[in-house]
Amino acid sequence: MMDLITPRSIIANLRVGTKKQALQELAKRASELTGQHERAVFDVLLERERLGTTGVGHGIAIPHGKLPNLDRVYGIFARLERPVEFDAIDEQPVDLMFLLLAPDSAGADHLKALARVSRLLRDTSMCEKLRGSDNADAIYALLTQTEASHAA
Amino acid sequence: MELINSIILVSAILLVLSIVTSVIALRIGAPLLLFFLAIGVVAGPDGLAVVHFESVEAAYLIGSIALAIILFESGLDTPILSYRRAAAPALTLATVGVLITAGLVGIAAQFLFDLSRLEALLLGAVVASTDAAAVFLLLRVGGVTIRGRARSILEIESGTNDPVAIFLTLSLSGAIAAGSTAPGWSLLIDLLRQAGIGMALGAVGGGVIALALNRLRLDPGLLPIAALGLALLTFAATTDAGGSGFLAVYVAGLIVGNLPLRGRLGLRRFLSGLTWLSQIVMFVMLGVLATPSSFGPVLGPAIALSLFLILVARPLAVSLCLIPFRIGVAETTFIAWVGLRGAVSILLAIVPNLMALPQGSLFFAVAFIIVTVSLLVQGWMIRPMARWLRLIVPRRLGPVDRIELDLPGNADQELVAYSILEGSPVARGQRLPRWARPALVIRGGRVIPVHAARPWTVGDHVYLFAAPTRIPLLDRLYAGSRPLSEDDRDFFGDLAFHPGVTLGTLAELYGLPLTVENANRTLADLFDAEFQHAGEIGDRLRLGTVELIIRDMENGRIVKVGLSLQPDRKTSARLPLFEQPLAHLSRFAVATTRRWPWKRRAGKNRG
Repeated sequence: MMDLITPRSIIANLRVGTKKQALQELAKRASELTGQHERAVFDVLLERERLGTTGVGHGIAIPHGKLPNLDRVYGIFARLERPVEFDAIDEQPVDLMFLLLAPDSAGADHLKALARVSRLLRDTSMCEKLRGSDNADAIYALLTQTEASHAA
Repeated sequence: MELINSIILVSAILLVLSIVTSVIALRIGAPLLLFFLAIGVVAGPDGLAVVHFESVEAAYLIGSIALAIILFESGLDTPILSYRRAAAPALTLATVGVLITAGLVGIAAQFLFDLSRLEALLLGAVVASTDAAAVFLLLRVGGVTIRGRARSILEIESGTNDPVAIFLTLSLSGAIAAGSTAPGWSLLIDLLRQAGIGMALGAVGGGVIALALNRLRLDPGLLPIAALGLALLTFAATTDAGGSGFLAVYVAGLIVGNLPLRGRLGLRRFLSGLTWLSQIVMFVMLGVLATPSSFGPVLGPAIALSLFLILVARPLAVSLCLIPFRIGVAETTFIAWVGLRGAVSILLAIVPNLMALPQGSLFFAVAFIIVTVSLLVQGWMIRPMARWLRLIVPRRLGPVDRIELDLPGNADQELVAYSILEGSPVARGQRLPRWARPALVIRGGRVIPVHAARPWTVGDHVYLFAAPTRIPLLDRLYAGSRPLSEDDRDFFGDLAFHPGVTLGTLAELYGLPLTVENANRTLADLFDAEFQHAGEIGDRLRLGTVELIIRDMENGRIVKVGLSLQPDRKTSARLPLFEQPLAHLSRFAVATTRRWPWKRRAGKNRG
């Protein structure tokens, strides 16, 4: 997980009202981290949502997409202050989001990262802890430390 | 006079006792039919000896009528959609499968008992069919939903293999009585003739029943009785004409059940009650007829034969029959396991007695023991087995509070009533499509004009008219919402896609293998081609390292496709050891007859 996120990739208290706003905010943070155009990131995410929702249920969404000029796979985690309607699989509003951006050349790494994030956020006690903390460092510690203990 | 009353008294007590036991049996998940059988044994000569019933002729008569009713109902309850997806494998099982099972059990029986070849084969035929009553009951009871294709195959098989086993038993008994020692080709021709006549007259009977119910101006209470009378008429007339009456009533039921029908719900309720009664009567009666105290000498070999049937004959017959149909290993294993024997086998074991064959009582004893073992071992294990093989469809919706009502004089609209539940899409303000708007709303005991009813409040009762096919869609709107469980992700995948997404898009996004000819195909095209337009919820296709799953369907069309990022191996390969060689064989057969372009490509990539 550490190769996907840094403490700067965590948004601990995102205040948005709609799915679109949430994606915009994530795109903005992604553009700061990767140096890509915010608009380009947003378009990629929107394009992906058009194929089918990335709201995987239980209030979790994993928006993702591919960008041409990235050097690696980037992750951004956001904890929403209030859940937003997301057209999720289970039609429940979303309050935890994990954005993944992969370079065009990522190949199987994109899928691997997706699977790792998906598995991590399936852990209900993990999600409870994430929902309960509004501090970016604490969230970063949670996300990375469990990964390490999972690997051990 | 006193005798007559005590007969009524004892019968009524047995009936009530059976119904009371059914409540207990369903609670603890025990095979219910075994309880009925046990009640019969306890009441019979070896138990309390309160019932003295020894007439095999009467037993055969009552059993035949009961079986005809059960088969009519099972046909009536089988949607034609099941046939579209499972007819070929199910009918192969019902015909070839029965012959293989009978043959294998016959060979084993010859070693275990002192029987001639033809007699051993007769024993095989007696226990060759799976019991419709047992299978239907165990598949439906307890709110467990088995995945569609396996369920359809089992239901169709159990409904259609009885006639084959009955025919085999009657012909073999006849041949033995006539002093013949080896089966001849005339047997096969006769089988085809009986099946042909049975199907044709059954179709005619079904048409007549539907016509009569829709056209005749009868008292509503008489409609189901008319259907029953005509069904039994179909049964008897077909048998008289040299066809298989049992097949005929089943076909008739199938036709009636799939035509628009006036008073459909009333008929189904009536028949479902009557089927329960038939099952209770049949099993209790056969229990009474049995004298377990005399089973001693055959007990050991009969149990050995039961285990041979469960562990060898049935799995072998099923695996061989299903090889051409690309049925998954888990499904094949499950179908092999749910080869429950039931009343039909015991009933058929009476036939050698009826024909006064020398070893008559042996057949009855052995069949009785085999059915008992089968119900105990297989019946009790069905649910754990289904869970282990991951064939249970998780419930998609929350609780539904729905009542269906029959409309007088109208076959294509039904009146349904829902209570609006907390958290349901309607209660959360979901816009209702035109076809799903209520005709009547009752709130707090008062009728409210529909236009004034918004917003809907929890506890409202809404009544609306809908075509029966729309009801699953209505459930979606009015059902209480229920969070997706962990199992759902395994079953339906992590991500969801629209069926119109092309494989090219998906492959590009996730770096999946792809061939040129597949690039422009949509996910819906892919499933339609792969499952011959009969795909169903839960069907999976491998694409590189991920699996695509049909998540949702409406009116037979795929509307949502799931993608599983890390497909669990358990869903595709879990099987008992004894089936492994056959599974490999069938996989090999599949691989050689049909190639998946993207699989070939994936193989190349690896190499």
